[in-house]
Amino acid sequence: MTDIIQRSPAIPVVSGIVDPIRAGRKAGWYMKSATEFKGGEVLEADVLIIGTGAGGGTSAEIFAKAGLKVLMIEEGPLKSSDDFKMDERDAYHDLYQESAGRMSKDGAMSILQGRGVGGTTVINWTSSFRTPAPTLKHWAKEFGVEGMSPEEMAPWFAQMEERLGVAKWEMEPNNNNAVLRDGAEKLGVHWETIPRNVRGCWNLGYCGTGCPTNAKQSMLVTTIPSALEKGAKLVYSARVERLIIEGRKVLGAEIVALDENYQPTLVRLLAKAPQVILAAGAINGPALMLRSKAPDPHKRIGKRAFFHPTTFTFAEFEHFIDPYYGAPQSVHSDHYQWQGITDAVGFKLEVPPLHPGLTSVLLMGHGIQHFQDMQKLPHLHSMIALLRDGFHPQSEGGQIELAGDGTPIIDYEINDYLWDGVKRSWLAMVEIQFAAGAKAVRIAHNDSPWYNNLEKAKAGIASLSSRSNSFTAGSAHCMGGLAMGEDQNRCLVDSYGKYHHLDNLHVFDGSVFPTSIGANPQLSIYGMVCRNATLLAQKILA
Amino acid sequence: MLTLSTSRRGFMQLGATSMAVLSLGAGFASLSGCSKAPAQTGYKILRAGDLEFFAAIAPVILSGGYPSSLSTEAAQARLLHELDNLISTLQDYAQSQLIMLLDVVQSAPLRVAMDAQWASWKDASAADIESFLQGWKTSKIPIKRMGYGSLCKLITMCWYKQPETFALSGYPGMPKKINLSA
Repeated sequence: MTDIIQRSPAIPVVSGIVDPIRAGRKAGWYMKSATEFKGGEVLEADVLIIGTGAGGGTSAEIFAKAGLKVLMIEEGPLKSSDDFKMDERDAYHDLYQESAGRMSKDGAMSILQGRGVGGTTVINWTSSFRTPAPTLKHWAKEFGVEGMSPEEMAPWFAQMEERLGVAKWEMEPNNNNAVLRDGAEKLGVHWETIPRNVRGCWNLGYCGTGCPTNAKQSMLVTTIPSALEKGAKLVYSARVERLIIEGRKVLGAEIVALDENYQPTLVRLLAKAPQVILAAGAINGPALMLRSKAPDPHKRIGKRAFFHPTTFTFAEFEHFIDPYYGAPQSVHSDHYQWQGITDAVGFKLEVPPLHPGLTSVLLMGHGIQHFQDMQKLPHLHSMIALLRDGFHPQSEGGQIELAGDGTPIIDYEINDYLWDGVKRSWLAMVEIQFAAGAKAVRIAHNDSPWYNNLEKAKAGIASLSSRSNSFTAGSAHCMGGLAMGEDQNRCLVDSYGKYHHLDNLHVFDGSVFPTSIGANPQLSIYGMVCRNATLLAQKILA
Repeated sequence: MLTLSTSRRGFMQLGATSMAVLSLGAGFASLSGCSKAPAQTGYKILRAGDLEFFAAIAPVILSGGYPSSLSTEAAQARLLHELDNLISTLQDYAQSQLIMLLDVVQSAPLRVAMDAQWASWKDASAADIESFLQGWKTSKIPIKRMGYGSLCKLITMCWYKQPETFALSGYPGMPKKINLSA
């Protein structure tokens, strides 16, 4: 213990960073909290965008550049680099849905989802993959998605990669990611370097608490400022309670201002525009559509909700891992991902950063065992497997429902089909961890001890129970709920994001994915929205 | 509709089934007026009984991690306010489930079912609390396992993000940040 306390690794001081949002405020950008209004105002624009994450941010820049009057409405607060202190306390409260305490209905899956201007792009770990070709082909075949072949999508991805500085990480991976690289290399498991959306990254390791240096090319520092410079308006701390729908048209949106504690105030506003873009994410978007009683003849709103249910294993090493420092994700493996497209569930292997608050939750359990595990932190490595849900008849996804007050409930179950993948993923990960030289490994399961060799770990995994809440299942990727496709019996939006049953509502975010992506979804959202928003802007101006 | 039985046998029979124990507990709690109690002064959500419950179980859940370098009083105040803040931002479903859970653990029938000799959580021994936690952790009833998981996640998350605990985990801490505008 004492050697740990006395350690003082070289940690840089972060200074000299210009906060682009504070600079923009001085330059006169239109950015207002809904609480600044008296109430009763009607805000008008050519295009109303609900949500400012990957989908809303990308759309805003494209419409503003096209010369259209854009109004962005964001439920969360406006926080920017001067607010980002690399402190889990502020970050979870300010930047995460439900203070990072969001979970599925049965409590078994913890969901990390962003909240605030820039959405999840402000707190994600920067991994930027194009939508895998097998996923796009599956959508065309199974859901009748048109015009989104890998070849047709390539220029849209290229455009957004250029816009957001996406490139393979050139620095040495941190020790946490090196475990995946080294173990995979020893076993002959294919691995690759992760492309990241960063420019001038300091390699600090705090992508998840809001990038303190503005190196991460989130919507907060790229498309949103660009739209604001062109005269777009942003109203934050503004929850859209209901879309006002008449026949096949959205007439406007009813907004309530939220106070600093995110509680509704008495200030209510109305927003109106001939074109409405829903980009509120895969949980809050379907919930808004349900609250608004949007036309839904086949009762599909909220269905096919996917999460890449994520499993965890921990490994203890002799040497320091310092899993909280350095670019959080730089190595991945798709070795187990595409062995069959529609057979047993495939999974992608990555590594999560381990900051103490989050780690304490992932470790599960209580008492002396939990405390001893926490004390391993500087020597602790964790690996994650993201299960590719939605490609098999036994993986139809979960469902977004409404609580009594109209807020979302996420009903998602790890069924037998997924449980098979959970066990295979644990095995694959501990094999790699031991190959990389781990002293001992532990499954993120209440009943798992530390195993000091692979044989014991294999036997242990075979005996672990599938009971809900007995193992860590996480998700940082919320997808689906408003499925895209030309088959109207199963799908709600067409291949251009237009809602089938409304004339002026487009859904431009990850809620339209008819399956999970099979990779971290941000670039899938950017590319698809870049295409769909560009085509819609052309149509509006034609 | 559940028939409420206040006899010990009746409660234990229900406990052995996979019925919605929390709803049952909430029923008991509202009979005793527990869930109608207002939040404690200085707190947004948590009521006096909830604070007493969390204060009692925290040392058992956190073990050697608590109270760290803080005094017991300071640690308790810090943890309880963090819990209150976090719980206040949970949306309706998760928050109401949690409040029901807190109602259940404070209901007299639960203590009877546990053969508890103590009248309130602040009088429970560490061994009593450990056996309560183990019971819920390994229960066949999904909602009890959810309760165990939620209590542990909330308490450990709220605790280990506190800078005073960094030395315990060996986390050297985050980089210093100096803002131009500061």
